[in-house]
Amino acid sequence: MAEVRPDEISAILRKQLSGFESEVDIYDVGTVLQVGDGIARVYGLSKVMASELVEFPNDVFGMVLNLEEDSVGCVLFGESKLVKEGDTVKRTKRVASIPVGKNMLGRVVNPLGIPVDGKGSITAEKYYPIERKALGVIQRQPVKEPLQTGITAIDGMIPIGRGQRELIIGDRQTGKTAVAIDTIINQKITHTEEAAKLGIKPVYCIYVAIGQKSSTIAQVVAKLHEHDAMSYTTVISASASESSPLQFVAPYAGASLGEFFRDNGKHALVIYDDLSKQAAAYRELSLLLRRPPGREAYPGDVFYLHSRLLERASKLSDDLGGGSLTALPIIETQQGDVSAYIPTNVISITDGQIYLESNLFNAGVRPAINVGISVSRVGGNAQIKAMKKVAGSLKLDLAQYRELEAFAKFGSDLDKSTQRTLSKGARLVELLKQGQFSPVPVERQVVSIYLGTNNYLDSIPVADVKRFEREIQEFIGVKYNQIYENIKKEKALSDETISEIKKASEEFLTVFKKSA
Amino acid sequence: MAETKVSARYAASLIDLALEKNALDALSKDMELVHSAILSSNDLNNVLQSPVIKTEKKKIILSEIFKNKISEDSLNFIRFVVDKNRENLLTSIIKKFLQMRDEKLGMVRVEVKTSFDFTDEQKEKLQQRLEKILNKKAQLKFIADSTIVGGFVAKVGDTVYDASVKHQLELLRKEFLHGSVQLN
Repeated sequence: MAEVRPDEISAILRKQLSGFESEVDIYDVGTVLQVGDGIARVYGLSKVMASELVEFPNDVFGMVLNLEEDSVGCVLFGESKLVKEGDTVKRTKRVASIPVGKNMLGRVVNPLGIPVDGKGSITAEKYYPIERKALGVIQRQPVKEPLQTGITAIDGMIPIGRGQRELIIGDRQTGKTAVAIDTIINQKITHTEEAAKLGIKPVYCIYVAIGQKSSTIAQVVAKLHEHDAMSYTTVISASASESSPLQFVAPYAGASLGEFFRDNGKHALVIYDDLSKQAAAYRELSLLLRRPPGREAYPGDVFYLHSRLLERASKLSDDLGGGSLTALPIIETQQGDVSAYIPTNVISITDGQIYLESNLFNAGVRPAINVGISVSRVGGNAQIKAMKKVAGSLKLDLAQYRELEAFAKFGSDLDKSTQRTLSKGARLVELLKQGQFSPVPVERQVVSIYLGTNNYLDSIPVADVKRFEREIQEFIGVKYNQIYENIKKEKALSDETISEIKKASEEFLTVFKKSA
Repeated sequence: MAETKVSARYAASLIDLALEKNALDALSKDMELVHSAILSSNDLNNVLQSPVIKTEKKKIILSEIFKNKISEDSLNFIRFVVDKNRENLLTSIIKKFLQMRDEKLGMVRVEVKTSFDFTDEQKEKLQQRLEKILNKKAQLKFIADSTIVGGFVAKVGDTVYDASVKHQLELLRKEFLHGSVQLN
């Protein structure tokens, strides 16, 4: 163990003391009238602002939510056992805010910006208030750049643009978080020099974990570290053991941090995992504050709770630097019930949803995306031309396959064209399966989808499709690398590129060995 | 809440009456007396709060107590409040009245906590200093409290002017705690 010398300690103390001046300190106070269940009613604090931070004894902080005629309703961010009736409450004169800046990257913090990863304090460039108003119409422009998730099914059929809000919805254990984490990992390529040469701007990521197990959050952080994704990511953690007010403010804190990047002309992606838990936390503290309950006991402003959060995702106009904040909220449904209160609310707010289904998941289709009811209302404009070209027929083929899927068991009794549709559909479904933590770059996605939709897989047994795809990608990467380079550079699929893909595939089909 | 609104209304009318009759000082002295009487006697407070005792009876009791001690106007006001069945709010009305009077006169009440009893000279100095800062006449009330170790704490409404050693030590503790994180 390292030794600590007393003279060293006193030197440090002296250094600390040198900046310390004794002056009369002026502050506003109030008295706790009532405390319990994470709520305190305070008398006094006459000049306090709504959503201002207040300080209770024992380093417990609170936030003012209700301003009443002769008392103030506060939510406590810490243990309510540490606060007693009659305690003095101090104003901080600071609206609840979060430190923002590049120093936050690579860190795990709580919703008030206090690090919880044991890597020391964060020197913040600036503080942003947690609640900020969303931008207006003039400051925005339509979504036009793609945000590549690295998941072929999503980038092909449900494309997400920078500045979009795309809901990820599904039952428990359907891989919602996996989609989000893969998306974060895939942003690694936007931070490379190669991407900078191609004009792809880096995307900074914020993962907001609300009401999850601490062990799950630790796992996510470990995975991000493992894939070198933490260097451009901040994790905001409000685990299940945190008080409900902290869980309630966590997504707003994440949005504020993302807005810092957006406002500086950069691009940010923020994931709210998940908003059902946040709504439940908000319901808890609303009921404790005696606000009247409505449907499913949620307070009347639960729609506004989510709409004001998701409205902050935006693509700025070029005058304002053209930054963007993309939001991927996650909602957990119960037994596939999308018509419950919170899911319908969030579906109506977002620009589309990715619907994950447990029976698909159990059937081995992973990511378990139900392509039929998943949509993206604005992302199509953001797709690169090459992808748009190949993905158009992919959607159609899969739709036809789904229509006829029920007949698949009749096998050879069916007519030729139906059989062809079924066999093609089965191969496409197989093609779109993808492992976790293995994002695919867009040029490879384009080639895969091209092969699938142009019947190059017809002669391959379904079980071999994944292996065929992997091997042909390697083959092209080695022998016909200019295909990838062209797609990356031109972002479109020129006739020469198509003919090269054709040539390469035909060449590879002759050498590919089918498994027995 | 409804109660504070009611008390404010009664208090405002009493202020108006006082200004009209030019008897603000006398009235406020009376009200202070009534206030301290109610606070000192639990029984009297119970009588006022009790809905069982008849209005007439309450009026007689109050008249008996305060007759010859306070002016006729004050007594009339109290009777009026009782007539309107608001006697349970009497203390909050008086509090509000005194508060409004202070505002009217540009006066503030300052509660000063000191670790030891100040000398008159110190008190005078503190008063002058506070009046200069607040730009208002200050009425100081001194309380000895040894837990603040040294210095003083002046409380004006909700605002605290803290020059106590205890607070300084607390700030120092926080400074060190904050600093220690950076050393890691």
